[in-house]
Amino acid sequence: MPLLQVRNITKVFGALIALRDVSFEVNRSEILGLIGPNGAGKSTLFNVISGFHHPDKGKILFKDTQITGLRVDRIAGMGIGRIFQEPTLFMQETVFENVFSGLHRHYREPAWKAFLHTRAANREEAASKKKAAEILEFMDLAAMRDELAANLPHGHQRSLAIAIALACEPELLLLDEPVTGMNPSETAVMSDKIRQIRERGITVLIVEHDMRAVMSLCDRIIVLNLGEKLVEGTPDRIKNDQRVIEAYLGKQVI
Amino acid sequence: MKLPNSLKTDRVTRYKWIAIIIVLIALIVLPLCIESNYIKHLLIMACIGAILGMTFSLLFSSGLITLGAAAFYAVGAYSSTVLVMNAGLSFWAALPLTLVFTAILALGFGAVFVRNAGVAFVIITLIFAQVVVLAAAQADFLGGWGGIMGIPRPNPVGTVNFAAKTDYYYLILAMLLLVVLIYNALYSSRIGRAWRAIKLSPKLAGTLGINEYRYRLLAFVIGSTTAALAGCFYAHYSQNITPGAFGGWLSIYVQLYAVLGGLEFYILGPAIGAVVMTFVPEYLRIVKEWEPIITGVILLVVILFFPGGILGTLKNPPALSLNKFHSLYNRLVTGKKRDSNS
Repeated sequence: MPLLQVRNITKVFGALIALRDVSFEVNRSEILGLIGPNGAGKSTLFNVISGFHHPDKGKILFKDTQITGLRVDRIAGMGIGRIFQEPTLFMQETVFENVFSGLHRHYREPAWKAFLHTRAANREEAASKKKAAEILEFMDLAAMRDELAANLPHGHQRSLAIAIALACEPELLLLDEPVTGMNPSETAVMSDKIRQIRERGITVLIVEHDMRAVMSLCDRIIVLNLGEKLVEGTPDRIKNDQRVIEAYLGKQVI
Repeated sequence: MKLPNSLKTDRVTRYKWIAIIIVLIALIVLPLCIESNYIKHLLIMACIGAILGMTFSLLFSSGLITLGAAAFYAVGAYSSTVLVMNAGLSFWAALPLTLVFTAILALGFGAVFVRNAGVAFVIITLIFAQVVVLAAAQADFLGGWGGIMGIPRPNPVGTVNFAAKTDYYYLILAMLLLVVLIYNALYSSRIGRAWRAIKLSPKLAGTLGINEYRYRLLAFVIGSTTAALAGCFYAHYSQNITPGAFGGWLSIYVQLYAVLGGLEFYILGPAIGAVVMTFVPEYLRIVKEWEPIITGVILLVVILFFPGGILGTLKNPPALSLNKFHSLYNRLVTGKKRDSNS
């Protein structure tokens, strides 16, 4: 059973067909890449999966349950985490506070007990602080835990965004351009982190422009062009596919 | 006492507890050192204002800006008055009934209101507060524009009958402290963290599984019910209420308490703002008709040049001369000398 099934998704904005009949599956514990030229509909597809947009046609199943049309927080609650293309953090909070806030879904004690600060609720708070510290350690952010998120350099903001998403304990993680704008050594470190995330049992779906990173990282790749799925396959197949080269470079070049 | 977010609980240091105890003792001893009934009256009004200001900050902590703080304040004042004077209930029975009634009402209206965050919410609350005032003025059993007079003070508890201003001050101070305790418990729990997350980035909060609507509704209901609590104690203190007393200016004043004290200080900010805004205009009365103008100018200057409010300015002083204040502040209030999270 695939973890995520995207079935015949169509999304229209006014006169623009952003996605046309897109279908694919994400298997458990794989790193699946989603690539395509600008305007191919990659980010729209992410927004449809995570509930920010509702598709006009088609269905999305997560663990064989329909999630089409559910609210963003419900979808997150079911185990789909995501990071955004633009830096989206709690800018005025410290690195630690960012991840600590991300642990919202981690609590089992009811909210009124948290309000009364019962012993069990306090224990849970302490446990979640420890968990936040672990996640920071994992994402190599422990040294800057008291820094304000707004003051972090770009690369660390990316790591922090992933750390916050990991705090949600997702089964599927959607990464929108995790290494775009990074230098080669930063990209290598981040790619390595993404592999480690997969080793933790988390399935990863990536949108990325950095072809070299995508090719080395992904088990499979899906190419979108003008809102339609062009091809799907292993990195080697994609690299040599004539249609992909045409889509990226345009016919006249060839 | 200033806990804008939960994580600062760890920063509660010895210094801070000493400061809290000193302030508490001062608040308790204060009326014994004052003879003027007028100043005691101002103290009582400052406490009521502080509670109202805190309700504004509570909504603000979840990213909602209300210009209708007076609405549920009026609902609380009128409901309690009607329950005591028309239904013949004791004040102490009317109080919980009023709170339950307001909470249900706030849940109903809030369910519609908080669907619109941002400017729409501001306008909705502003209009709602005006509608409440006009409705009260139209209702004959609420006395119309003339309002209701002769509202009794709360029924005696033991030998205390709350006729004296000092007794009433202690009563309202106890309520203020209760609100502070409850709000502090909220801010320092994951509920307060969820509110803050929604305020800082609703988009990110959603992807963390936080239900923006439900948490904002919770803030609206708690804030409105607290405003009703303040309304109850106002009605039975002033002993007469008119729709005019709950007009638009009040909601603006309530907002100014929070802004003047420091918007980022959800508890201490409105408290200090309310005290300053209650006492300073009174002492400007020397120039009588100029008083509102001077007050207005002072407020504009504060908002334009000290956007952090009084506490925010002390925390991040704009000029070098205030640096001493800064370190003193850090020691007393945030306790930054220590490592914050270990």
